[in-house]
Amino acid sequence: MNSKLSAISRHGWIAWGAAAVAFLAAAPALAQQFTGPEYGEFALFGLDRRGAIWIAAQLHLLFAAFVLGVPMFAVVIEAIGMFGGDQRYDKLAKEFTRLLLVAYSATAIWGAILVFFLSTLYPNFWSYLTGIFAPSMWLYAGLFFFESFTLYLYYYGWDAWKKGIAKKFHWGLGIMLNVWGTAVMFIANGWLTYMMSPPEGVTAETAPPQIELWSAINNATWMPINIHRLLANVVFGGAIVGAYAAYRFLTSKTDDERAHYDWMGYTGNFIAIGALIVLPFAGYWLGREIYEFSQTMGITMMGGFMSWLWIIQAFLIGILFLAGNYYLWVGMGRIPGAERFQPYIKWMLLVLVLGVIVWATPNTMIASRDEIAAMGGTHHPFLGVLGVMSAKNTAVNLMILTTFLSFLMYRRANREPVVAWARAATMLQGLAFAVCALVVLAYGIWGYFVEAIVRIGFSVYQVLAVLVTILFVTALDVLMLRGARSRGTIRWGHMPPRSQYALLVLAVTFTWLMGLMGFARSGIRQHWHVYEVIRDTSEQAFTPALGPAATMISICVALFFGLVGMIFWLGGLSEKSADQPSGATAAGTG
Amino acid sequence: MLRTNLKILFTVAMTLAVFTFIANVIPQVQSAVPEEIEIRADMTPDELVGIGETLYFGVGGCTACHGLGTRAPDILGVAGTVCATRNPGQSCKEYLWESLVSPVSYIVEGFQPIMLDQSRLMSQAELWTLVAFLEAQGGEVTVGPDDFAAAAAADEAALAAAAEPPPTDPSAVDVMGILRVHCLACHAYGGQGAMVGPPLEELTGRSYEEIERGILEPNADTAAGYEPFAGVMPTYYGDQLAPAELEALIQFLMEGGAPGGSTDGSVGDDAPPGEDRP
Repeated sequence: MNSKLSAISRHGWIAWGAAAVAFLAAAPALAQQFTGPEYGEFALFGLDRRGAIWIAAQLHLLFAAFVLGVPMFAVVIEAIGMFGGDQRYDKLAKEFTRLLLVAYSATAIWGAILVFFLSTLYPNFWSYLTGIFAPSMWLYAGLFFFESFTLYLYYYGWDAWKKGIAKKFHWGLGIMLNVWGTAVMFIANGWLTYMMSPPEGVTAETAPPQIELWSAINNATWMPINIHRLLANVVFGGAIVGAYAAYRFLTSKTDDERAHYDWMGYTGNFIAIGALIVLPFAGYWLGREIYEFSQTMGITMMGGFMSWLWIIQAFLIGILFLAGNYYLWVGMGRIPGAERFQPYIKWMLLVLVLGVIVWATPNTMIASRDEIAAMGGTHHPFLGVLGVMSAKNTAVNLMILTTFLSFLMYRRANREPVVAWARAATMLQGLAFAVCALVVLAYGIWGYFVEAIVRIGFSVYQVLAVLVTILFVTALDVLMLRGARSRGTIRWGHMPPRSQYALLVLAVTFTWLMGLMGFARSGIRQHWHVYEVIRDTSEQAFTPALGPAATMISICVALFFGLVGMIFWLGGLSEKSADQPSGATAAGTG
Repeated sequence: MLRTNLKILFTVAMTLAVFTFIANVIPQVQSAVPEEIEIRADMTPDELVGIGETLYFGVGGCTACHGLGTRAPDILGVAGTVCATRNPGQSCKEYLWESLVSPVSYIVEGFQPIMLDQSRLMSQAELWTLVAFLEAQGGEVTVGPDDFAAAAAADEAALAAAAEPPPTDPSAVDVMGILRVHCLACHAYGGQGAMVGPPLEELTGRSYEEIERGILEPNADTAAGYEPFAGVMPTYYGDQLAPAELEALIQFLMEGGAPGGSTDGSVGDDAPPGEDRP
């Protein structure tokens, strides 16, 4: 008990100390008058002030995404264990939550560093922001307290409140942890989205006290960013948990440990890829709102100097699809009965590779005269046909459909339906896949022959076809596999190491992708602190090209994984010091 | 254990290295802070073309549509050769100027009238450098000092007008001037203007609130038959128009003619900016 209290105290002091220092740093700024941008100096480790703020903000965001994403699925997994009566899920949820504790302190520390940098390197701009958002900052601090307190109760009360009504209370704590965390994120999103899309009527002459707090928070991109980040946090949390499980699997010494971490890795990957499939819809919404707010900003993002960024994004998402599917295909080797699906894998791989190639085909790029001359025109004579949205939307929808098929095969691998209509249902599922693929292809081809505005509408039909198919096939599968006969138990832990490296690549790619998209979101403001309101007059006002930005992103990701590695190591130390051996019951089924 | 840890480290490092390498080998485009461009009447054609090129690929934002093949015609390398053949009797320079300040006057087959009047975004002197750059795309640069002398006068007049305090009395507002500058590039009125949005006469009899919403939140609703142009109307009129101007404009549109404008529906004899230049 004493060790628990000291642990609570240790984590709590770090987080609260960081938060308190951050707000003390903010206090002088609150008293300042906004007199136009002035900047502090920074020259350490070859970084200038923008580099310093970039790293602090990115690391704070990555840790924050992790501590907000993991509780979302931890509480769901705890519910599965609680209502389904399977203790394995309860243990898994607890292990997920254990990862949060040190990560939570890291989030607060990087948040404090970010505030230090803002208040010392961008003092006037920071004063401007606090002049508008001060009340929400104090609310943020209050919610942060509730979030910290709830997290410690949630984790350290796990074993004390494990039965009956106490267990339900504990689960309620998990839900509250998510409520506080989501509220904290929504408030912080209000600050950053104000910088992107300040409300109408705000000009450079508008003094901060004249700006209504709610209108500043509830700006054009606030809610789309909220939803996009909520989903992305789940994806990211799943991927990092998958990487943790992979690390523990690769360094395990017993079969029981390997079995446990194999199952944990599978669960993390399932969560990450599952949430990734719906993430683009939130992205479309955000993109639309950006265009609605400012067509100039929208065009800068998609057709302006950032257009090459989307090719890199396509390449990264291609890696995510390929690595995610590869992990599933390798995993089928440990499932009796999965052999019958092996012949289909090469064709699925072909669809994915072709999809990535089409999606990553450059098209709407800014090109210089020399580049246009070298290409023989504004479009490549052959590849230009594949680079348009009709082809790309078709490619990505077929990739999503293929990934869903991988999950379906994985799910069906060791089960044999016993219902009389199983054969007819399987044929119906096949028919649904075929019809969906044809609908997606047909709209893709038709898109070449209609106006742009009609073509954009086709993408909605393509997405709807895929979503309806996923829902229909899943519902049919659940009904069909009720009481299904087992073809054998999944041999958890019998995975080749290469599968675990795929999980690591997935986590690194997700993290890098977050850094890239963060650069896109922030970079489309160009030389403005607050878009078309407060101009950046520092020598770093220009927006860097993709190469230097990528280098910065890689530095941030390397630092993040270095720190995460330390957290995993610390997690392992506390486990070793525990009285009883950890988790590690070989899981029986998926 | 050490070997496994090194393998993990290698995997992470290699993944980062590949991403960084790819991002560094693709074309590098940096978004620079817009600089003040000095344009003088005595500049050489090459200097004018150079400034025009900077605007075309930079703050002009032309490449957002031209060169993509779908939104607007590809004009690099060809604009200077086809410009004189578009409208009989119109010189290359005249056509290019018109295509910038009144882009809906001539729509190339297969494209939609989505381009905005560029005189609302750039000074006339800047527009002439763009004309020079476009003429240089396969043709001869004919933009000269006379064009810039007239442009300088027009730009000074525009600056002086902008410096004047906005009207506070709706009855003193020049509604026809507002229509010419802000509306007729997309809406028709009195037989003039374009058809990107519905004719303004159709607003007669509607409520004040309804018209106000249509101006301040133009993308909230789309008039039937104009769906292809949804989202084209700018959302900045709440900032650009003074309260008295907005009130006078709405009153005018409600009643189909009101104080400050001619009641016969004509938009006046004043030519749009630059129309009489080439």
